[in-house]
Amino acid sequence: MEETSDRLNPTTDTSGIAPEFDPKTMRSTKPGLKRLFITTSVLFSFLLGVPFLWKSVEIYRSPLPFHDIDSLSDQIESTPLQFPCNFHAVFVGFESKDPDKLRSQIQDGINQLTHQSSQCGSCNFSISVTVQNQADQCSETLAYNPSMCSYRCGVIKRNEFGVGLDDTVDESLNDVFSGCSENSGKTYSVVVVNKENANGEDEVIKAVVGKRRHAWVVGSGLEESYGDIVARVSEIFVKVFMNGGRDEESIHGEFMPVGSDGKIVLSFSLLNSNPRDWVYDWDFQRIDDALLAPVTKALAPIANISVESQVLYHTPKSSFSSWDEKLQSYIFRTSDLPFFVNSNEWHLDTSAGASGRSKILQFVVYIPSGKECPLLLQLPNGEISKTNGFISPMWGGVIVWNPENCDKDSESPSRNTISPQDLEQIVEIFLGQFRQLFGFKSEAIYTSGLGTYKILPSERGFTEWELDVLSRKHTCFNLHSCSTTLGSLSRLVRSLPRMIIKDEIGEQVKYSLKAAKLAQSNASLGGYSSSASSSREARSLAENAFFHPSIMSVSYFSYEHCFAVYSPFFLPVVAHIVFAALREWKGYRQEKAKYLTWLTRKKTA
Amino acid sequence: MASLVRSWIPLLILQSFLVAVAFGSKEAEQFSEALLLKPLPDRKVLAHFHFENRAPPSNSHGRHHHLFPKAISQLVQKFRVKEMELSFTQGRWNHEHWGGFDPLSSMNAKPVGVELWAVFDVPQSQVDTSWKNLTHALSGLFCASINFLESSTSYAAPTWGFGTNSDKLRYGSLPREAVCTENLTPWLKLLPCRDKDGISALMNRPSVYRGFYHSQRLHLSTVESGQEGLGSGIVLEQTLTVVLQPETTSVETNMQPSWSLSSLFGRKVVGSCVLAKSSNVYLQLEGRLGHESKNVDTEIEAHKLWKNADFDLSLKPDRVLRESSGLLFIFDIDKSSDSEPFDLGLNWKLPSKWSCQQAPLQASRFLMGSGNERGAIAILLKATESQEKLPGRELTDGRCTIKANIFQIFPWYIKVYYHTLQIFVDQQQKTDSEVLKKINVSPSTDKVSSGMLEMMLELPCEVKSAAISIEYDKGFLHIDEYPPDANQGFDIPSALISFPSHHASLDFQEELSKSPLLSSFKEKSLVRSYTEVLLVPLTTPDFSMPYNVITITCTIFALYFGSLLNVLRRRIGEEERFLKSQAGKKTGGVKQLLLRLTAKIRGRPIEAPSSESPAAESSFLSTKLIFKIILIAGAAAAWQYFSTDK
Repeated sequence: MEETSDRLNPTTDTSGIAPEFDPKTMRSTKPGLKRLFITTSVLFSFLLGVPFLWKSVEIYRSPLPFHDIDSLSDQIESTPLQFPCNFHAVFVGFESKDPDKLRSQIQDGINQLTHQSSQCGSCNFSISVTVQNQADQCSETLAYNPSMCSYRCGVIKRNEFGVGLDDTVDESLNDVFSGCSENSGKTYSVVVVNKENANGEDEVIKAVVGKRRHAWVVGSGLEESYGDIVARVSEIFVKVFMNGGRDEESIHGEFMPVGSDGKIVLSFSLLNSNPRDWVYDWDFQRIDDALLAPVTKALAPIANISVESQVLYHTPKSSFSSWDEKLQSYIFRTSDLPFFVNSNEWHLDTSAGASGRSKILQFVVYIPSGKECPLLLQLPNGEISKTNGFISPMWGGVIVWNPENCDKDSESPSRNTISPQDLEQIVEIFLGQFRQLFGFKSEAIYTSGLGTYKILPSERGFTEWELDVLSRKHTCFNLHSCSTTLGSLSRLVRSLPRMIIKDEIGEQVKYSLKAAKLAQSNASLGGYSSSASSSREARSLAENAFFHPSIMSVSYFSYEHCFAVYSPFFLPVVAHIVFAALREWKGYRQEKAKYLTWLTRKKTA
Repeated sequence: MASLVRSWIPLLILQSFLVAVAFGSKEAEQFSEALLLKPLPDRKVLAHFHFENRAPPSNSHGRHHHLFPKAISQLVQKFRVKEMELSFTQGRWNHEHWGGFDPLSSMNAKPVGVELWAVFDVPQSQVDTSWKNLTHALSGLFCASINFLESSTSYAAPTWGFGTNSDKLRYGSLPREAVCTENLTPWLKLLPCRDKDGISALMNRPSVYRGFYHSQRLHLSTVESGQEGLGSGIVLEQTLTVVLQPETTSVETNMQPSWSLSSLFGRKVVGSCVLAKSSNVYLQLEGRLGHESKNVDTEIEAHKLWKNADFDLSLKPDRVLRESSGLLFIFDIDKSSDSEPFDLGLNWKLPSKWSCQQAPLQASRFLMGSGNERGAIAILLKATESQEKLPGRELTDGRCTIKANIFQIFPWYIKVYYHTLQIFVDQQQKTDSEVLKKINVSPSTDKVSSGMLEMMLELPCEVKSAAISIEYDKGFLHIDEYPPDANQGFDIPSALISFPSHHASLDFQEELSKSPLLSSFKEKSLVRSYTEVLLVPLTTPDFSMPYNVITITCTIFALYFGSLLNVLRRRIGEEERFLKSQAGKKTGGVKQLLLRLTAKIRGRPIEAPSSESPAAESSFLSTKLIFKIILIAGAAAAWQYFSTDK
């Protein structure tokens, strides 16, 4: 036991053997290992316990597919989503044109317009051309897609076409192309009719875009200026059918006033700025049933729209207006618009019906008080606005509606109801504003460098090709927003290593990625509605994961906390053990060295 | 002829249907406003604002509205609320001086803080979910922490003790909720004129909140249309009751103070809200039954009513109504304008005294016992002076009795022993069977649900006082469950005492105009009164305790561990030998110590007896030192790196 006790009387045993034994530097017995063994075993058991402790203080983090999230956002960034579209051009009354040549020319024109760059939500197009000569004989390009509809030759008569109202022409074209299958994307067609120049006078070329997916160009002597015509046809395809006739720069494609749960609440408010002057009321129920229901029905694939209305009183605007002698009215300018909406007094935002993350679009009809009546909006160029209203993107629109008679006739306020005709006008302006919020133009004429196109307005507010554009943009917007949300979630999770992440979040992320993949594959197959719905689901799940209540709460168990709890025990104990082990090791080596020197001394002796 | 008739019938039906539809759509949303002023016996003035908004039965509720607030309608639609009342109160109603037996006090005397009850029109299993969602929606709408009523420990489902018998009723109250202007603003938003115009323009925040009592109430009920396929109508009643002290200049102490609207509120009414169907101001004077007046038809008699020797009014009332206990002057404010504001004033000329009608029993509640372990709650019912005069006595078995319902919620941490319930009538203990007619107890579950006690007492008419006491133990809360100000104590919500056989109503001798305020007064309302809120101190832990415990136990463990390791490792014999040899070498400890001390003072190292050169030793020391410093710096840098990088 007492291994050093023999140092007491080392000379008694060894004096005879080794006379020069020095007790300071030598020892005759082997140093013992017991203490070293005890201290090292305690140290090792502590070291072995470290992983268990680590495991026990670990917080639960559901594994998130970081790699998939990154690859999704990379994919969306690098290869924008494209939908298959079929462009079909029919040239009627052209004598000697080779359809394949025309096709390649249209293809060149389209490429020139799109600058070869593929935007998200644009078309992955295929073109087919049919040429019908004056004797009603046809030649076609070889169809790439066997499912594509074919034009039955001779149905369009070159001299009878385009007579009558544009609406009826549109309907007749719909009959002509009714056999088209919609399996692989939508088919858009442009009919170019070269009329006989019967009168001898130079007829104006007329270009019309219909309510469905058809457009036509009618004129005489088109054969001679066919290069021009080809350019216009490709322009119709790209600017109108593909991009919806909107200026790319004006409203960014990411603006889409749809809530992440796919709902829009249209909240209409009639504001009587001073009911002491006059009180106006409306019969909105009728407007809702008659005029708004078709619009909401038409937009059903894109968003679930609900409509509500209220009348508010004592709601002055918060900007000033000035009296204009020439116009005999009060004027407010576009520079005043940021201050027009009075968020103190206009308590519009009382919609308990819009649960969760629906988008509320406010449409306000403002009736000026007697002190500022009539109130007109002056545009920067000095003209008076025809609609007398303005929009604020992602918020809604304001329409200023002036009563017919601005004179207060009596002391007591008059109670009136806005007449149905006036209400219809208001709804028309609203529809224009609503289209603008979605990025469309509200004019019926589209002008480009090559000429003007007449666009037939639909009574449903949006034409079919516009709805196609919206649907494409919406899918694209949803996927983009889904990928950015998931990206921020993954960045957040990676930046806070001690944050609890529940299984629900992991599942939501997984399903969101799945839905995004499905949307992408559906889009490439041309399923407009299916890809829109799955992209909506992907976005909604991503937002659910990001805004999960467990993330919002302060469930952050920090390293500092962990350290503060465990250090009072482990710091002193570990210090003891480590120093003891070190000392023992040192002592053992010293003693062993002593023993070795003794051994060598003995040997030499 | 027959065929003619037959062909007419469908047409007639169609026509009548069309007429019905036309009438149905013609019936518009209605809004009316009223203000009732009432001088109180203790030199204060009560002002009661009353706004009523009616939405006729329609299918477009929650979607299209003209006057009715859309938010409320959407609440009703979404949570299928059948009836609901929400009140925000500051101050306590003085039943003795302000009355306890009139419709005004029975409806508007509310417990301190927030009280919410609602009846739902959903299947029984969904009632709790609806309640929880409703509390959240209301807390957002009214900027209050009503969402604390969401947890099942804070609400109860009264069966009959509350007065409304429904199994889909939920009741909860938050006694500690502070009520202020941020609750009034959203409440005003529900009015079409807000506080911009009409009577509500009087609500000057400083003067309203300076009052002795302030209760803001919102009551809504749905009215079944009775027609197939047509939704139900909604009646929204909003009231604000304030008790104000008029500033008085009179020296005489028994003289009632004179006041006017502008002196009470600091504002005047400059016209009615143009959207209101009716806007009236009422002045109620109690205790002056039109003395010796048989007929008030003559002009002079009528004039005498508002300008007489006792008092005079600054404006001529449009009508005067008499009811059993006083006079009611009605003013129409439509005629007032900017140039001629409506500023009603009451000027007292002679000292005058009257008393209010009081409830049969006056209730108060207090705590008994001391310490942090147990206590008892006592409810004391005292007979009031007016008890003999009141109607509503019942004869059971030939005895005259008064019925009183007591409804009380206990939070779970007040662990009530229901067997300790004791009832004393006129200081004599009574057995349960003598006075207790009905009792319903639902015990609390720890951390899950609150307890509820409903009981119906039947007391003899000649009772002077009755007391109920019940003992409880104080529970322990988990450290997470304490509120931020745990040392303040915990509130037990007010108990509700109601008298099921007593109903308060004002009955006017004349036929009324259809004023919503007066018709609500005319309805019989249950006489109720709320008791005080009790403050129970619970044992509060030292909130830093967990860390202290951790530190102490860890230190003890570390000490134990360290000493155990030392015992195992140390070579005691060797050390002793070492010390001995040291002692033998050195020239005595004290001398050595002195030598060292002098050397330190001189600043010179001790001459080392060893053979090693001092330079070598110092260099060796310095490298060791540098190594140590580098080690510590490295550790610090590593710590810094790991702690900041992640």
